[in-house]
Amino acid sequence: MQRQIYAYRCRECGTLHYPFRMRCKECGNLEVFEFDAEPLPNKGTLVTFTHVHNLPAEYEVARLSIGAVELDGGVRVMGQLDIDEPKMGMPVRGSVEVVRREAYERYWGFVFRAA
Amino acid sequence: MRDVYVAGIGITSFGRLEYPLAEIAAYPAMMAMKDAGLTAVEQLYVANMGGGRLSHQTGLASAVVDTLSLTPAGAETIENGPASGASAIKQGYLAVASGMHDVVLVTGAERMREVNNLDATDFIATLTHPLAEYIYGVTLPAHAAMFTRLYMDKYGVTERHLAMVAVKNQNQALANEFAHLQQPITIEGILDSPEAMTNNPYVAEPLRFFDCCPVSDGGACVLLVSEEVAASVDRPRVRLAGVGQATDTHAVIERDDPTELTAVRLAAEKSLAMAGRDASTVDVAELHDAFTILEIAQSEEVGFFAKGEGHLALEKGETGLGGSMPINVSGGLKGKGHPVGATGIAQAHEIVTQLRHEAGDRQVEQATTGLTCNFGGFGNNVLCLTFTRES
Repeated sequence: MQRQIYAYRCRECGTLHYPFRMRCKECGNLEVFEFDAEPLPNKGTLVTFTHVHNLPAEYEVARLSIGAVELDGGVRVMGQLDIDEPKMGMPVRGSVEVVRREAYERYWGFVFRAA
Repeated sequence: MRDVYVAGIGITSFGRLEYPLAEIAAYPAMMAMKDAGLTAVEQLYVANMGGGRLSHQTGLASAVVDTLSLTPAGAETIENGPASGASAIKQGYLAVASGMHDVVLVTGAERMREVNNLDATDFIATLTHPLAEYIYGVTLPAHAAMFTRLYMDKYGVTERHLAMVAVKNQNQALANEFAHLQQPITIEGILDSPEAMTNNPYVAEPLRFFDCCPVSDGGACVLLVSEEVAASVDRPRVRLAGVGQATDTHAVIERDDPTELTAVRLAAEKSLAMAGRDASTVDVAELHDAFTILEIAQSEEVGFFAKGEGHLALEKGETGLGGSMPINVSGGLKGKGHPVGATGIAQAHEIVTQLRHEAGDRQVEQATTGLTCNFGGFGNNVLCLTFTRES
């Protein structure tokens, strides 16, 4: 199954939101759940990044790379990076993979690699 | 609305405290009542972020009000992340200003050292957006690191500037007997020497160990009163003159310009305007330097320096004791420590001490106006408080 991350487009004014919010930040429509989910594109550019050495207990790795990516179309997301030497502004391509494991749960999210 | 005064203050030592959370909240409250010579407390607000999660205790205010033998006074716990302290002061302000109460205790406490470092990091990371940030392993140091990289790129801030903040604040903590860190550091030791990478390893690149505040236990309290009650208290008169708050998007990267801390700017503007002051009239400030970069960025957003020039003021020594705009002379979160729920009150404690001219070796000469910035989440819920000394 091809997993995807979705953004939410307001049916009233067309503004695209990520992450989800109950009320459109542009038009303020009060009708609930008046959003259409649409898959985010998987290509973009790296805005900023870090290598985290002090991670919460669930991560059994010494170092985790995390970055912010501006996707084509302008929505910005966070994701994990599988890139040896990330550089700000570099083109990246995302796929949706397991990014966190807890005892009975797995969480899927963006992992970005050099495009 | 009525004017609100700080009649009494109290604080614990910060660091590792071996007594229960309710007592960490109650101890500074005892100090504050003794300081003011007042015990007729009508209402208690207890600022705390992690009681339920870290100390396995909920309904903390009920425990504290009884520990202090103040029943049947009203009591509520205030949780607003790392801005819980200033939020509780805001509630106390409203209670007195509205005329509902004349004497309100606002105390804050956190006991963070009873969990290990990984659990403490995860606890703080639960502030982040659950789906857009938290699942990726985003921590508060990670947020600060990504922000730092953007700041370095845009404004020319370097690791040396960050180390200068660390040295300034940690060494300033040596003049504060309540501060967590009592160890002098040098630029050579944490940046320039061959051992610097061992002494000062990366936590979240480009931030290193000494760019991050310690994890602390601690408590602090302010006793807020009406003008009538303040007139009966024989202590220097300090007024809580401005309370400003602003919020911003939960997901940090959604902000139009991720190098701006808009909520800090708005909260400071509101607080100073309410007090009838502007940034140029502030004599002493306590900013929320949980990470060194935040002192630089907040010093710009609250209006002390132009955007992108905070690190230049730091280079010239303007933010040190004796400089034109002394920041975090208490040691700040970096040197004094950061018991999250208590921090906003500890900042107020320092400003009141300064405005009373009782800060000893770290006194800012002739200080009459002070500002605090208590920064919740990664700038998504910020309060700034303005205090003035009344002659």
